[in-house]
Amino acid sequence: MSSELAIAQHIKYIQALGKQKDDLIYHKTAHLRMNAVYWGLTATCILGRPDALDREEMIAYVMSCWDDEAGGFGAHTGHDAHIHSTLSAIQIMVMQDALDRIDIERVTQFILSLQQPSGVFAGDAFGEVDTRFLYIAVNALALLGRLGDLDQEKTVEYVRQCRNYDGGFGRIVGSESHAGQVFVCTAALAILDRLDVIDEPTLAWWLAERQLPNGGLNGRPQKLEDVCYSFWALSALSVLRKLHWIDAAALTSFILSAQDMEVGGIADRPGNMADIFHTHFGIAGLSLVGYPGLVDLDPVFCMPASVIEKKGLRKGWEALPRQKV
Amino acid sequence: MHGVRRSRESREAREARRQREQEELNTYLSLQEDILSRKKDKDWSKDAFDLTTRMLNKNPEFYTVWNYRRLILLNNIFRNSSPHEKIDILANELVMTISALKVHPKVYWIWNHRRWCLENIPEGGDDDDMQGWRKTCWKRELYLVEQMLDADPRNFHAWDYRRYVLSSMPIQRPETAELAYTTKKIESDFSNFSAWHQRTKVLPRLWESGKLDKAQSLQQEFVLVQNAMWADPDDQSVWLYHRWLIGSGDDYDSLTREIKGIHELLEEQPDSKCMFSPILATLNLTNACVSGCMETLVHYKRLLIRSHTSRLGPEGTQILREECLGLLKQLEELDPLRRQRYRDLGALRRRHCQ
Ligand SMILES: [Zn+2]
Repeated sequence: MSSELAIAQHIKYIQALGKQKDDLIYHKTAHLRMNAVYWGLTATCILGRPDALDREEMIAYVMSCWDDEAGGFGAHTGHDAHIHSTLSAIQIMVMQDALDRIDIERVTQFILSLQQPSGVFAGDAFGEVDTRFLYIAVNALALLGRLGDLDQEKTVEYVRQCRNYDGGFGRIVGSESHAGQVFVCTAALAILDRLDVIDEPTLAWWLAERQLPNGGLNGRPQKLEDVCYSFWALSALSVLRKLHWIDAAALTSFILSAQDMEVGGIADRPGNMADIFHTHFGIAGLSLVGYPGLVDLDPVFCMPASVIEKKGLRKGWEALPRQKV
Repeated sequence: MHGVRRSRESREAREARRQREQEELNTYLSLQEDILSRKKDKDWSKDAFDLTTRMLNKNPEFYTVWNYRRLILLNNIFRNSSPHEKIDILANELVMTISALKVHPKVYWIWNHRRWCLENIPEGGDDDDMQGWRKTCWKRELYLVEQMLDADPRNFHAWDYRRYVLSSMPIQRPETAELAYTTKKIESDFSNFSAWHQRTKVLPRLWESGKLDKAQSLQQEFVLVQNAMWADPDDQSVWLYHRWLIGSGDDYDSLTREIKGIHELLEEQPDSKCMFSPILATLNLTNACVSGCMETLVHYKRLLIRSHTSRLGPEGTQILREECLGLLKQLEELDPLRRQRYRDLGALRRRHCQ
């Protein structure tokens, strides 16, 4: 069992990710590339190594994914604009202090154009809707300083309709509660200063019940634990200021046990193949529960807390105090 | 990436795999280049359409290619097709996505393409029935989604799609049919929380429309969930559903009856003997069932205090408060992961008593 975070290996793992262009799987996952760059950059920032990836190369890559027809960013060069990759692009540019290179007016219009009459957002012009996209829109507009352009009442109303009796939220109206959707709905409401929509005691109870005897968290009742759910549930618990309602030490050792100590990276659970998604969310979760030596993460935007504070966007969440090294 | 076991690849093994994959990689990259450049040139030809089929068979997550495929359909193929031809083309799309979903049941893009196809089914049909084709298609969708839910009864994509299909059917099915479906799902597996959840969405509509008598139906639901509770008291799905039935606890008789029932269940549990034992702290039990019972009892007793104080009288209320505190104290030991929550609730309770 690994008892410490293998910071050096994880940095190496993240740096190696962009250099596997002779692997088929690298190309088959191109639809996640922009997200992966954001995950990698955030992880290196939280590990205290914001310079681990080349800044100019990254900015040039982001700009190469601009879809001029739609006015948003695609997941990879030549891919269509999508709201998810657009948020990742904005987050990267904010972290790299290069937001001025983006056509903020056009991106804002692209995002706003995706809001549906019900208040939910579509991912792109083809109309798949999901509260994930609603959060993405709210997060992106906040980072761009354009929240004032959003019909906030309509947006909040859709989230309210997705609330279930168990306190949680689902993908669309009628869907069952899921920790990932709880994260996006809670964070969206936090950004819009509308936590009154949440049934706080019930939701905090539901979230605390996600922890399983091995310390890991699941995403729904009667499902297996998974490192990425650590972050979804922890973020929402931080917003509700109830992070102490789960056992942080047990969760920490679960996340650490899912590390690949040799090659670096964190997997969904112990013994599985690491990937950048779980590496990022594992490190993000560890930051929230106060793991020593890590940089503070803002659970609402899932970016370094200092970046969000500088923009004046910090909300009233509470993480656990940082432990001494 | 989920559920892929870690395997260590030696330098030689990686080299050998790359050699093997080289041809596939070259094909993939040239296909990708061909498609993306045709897309840029707004090539809406049948040739381009066939290329998207090839690519999506290799990689169903390439959403840009799904988008391109739909644009070809809209800008060329549909325009040059009769309604009859259009329905054949869409039927083909649906067949293609069925095979994709069987391999990738959780890929959002495939579900999304299916929904898009359904929305493009033209009006018309045989025997002058304007809804004919749509009726046939929707019926098939419902059958497909049931197959998907047989394979994985918790697949939320499939449940969401099911709700979408049901709500957009050309001729609405009676809600009682959906209630029967969830009953079937629950009876084959009490742990299927998704099916219990669906019930919480269907029942209120049946009550509101007067198709079911609420009071009577509620009592039947209590019987159903009690059976599940006794069969598998470890199961959170069942506790959650029970909590939904109780709601805010306005019905005093149901609330007290259910509290009594849970006490009985608790006494049946092999570990419950330690409940009142002073050496509880040393046992370090993490019995999910006992803590599930106790946690629920605390919640229901709180509801009693909140909604029925006048009926309980000051003495009855005080007794319930003491019971809650006692249960929370035991929960701190039984369920240490959530210890701090029980402490917080207990502290709150104590403050209210003063
Ligand atoms: Zn995961």
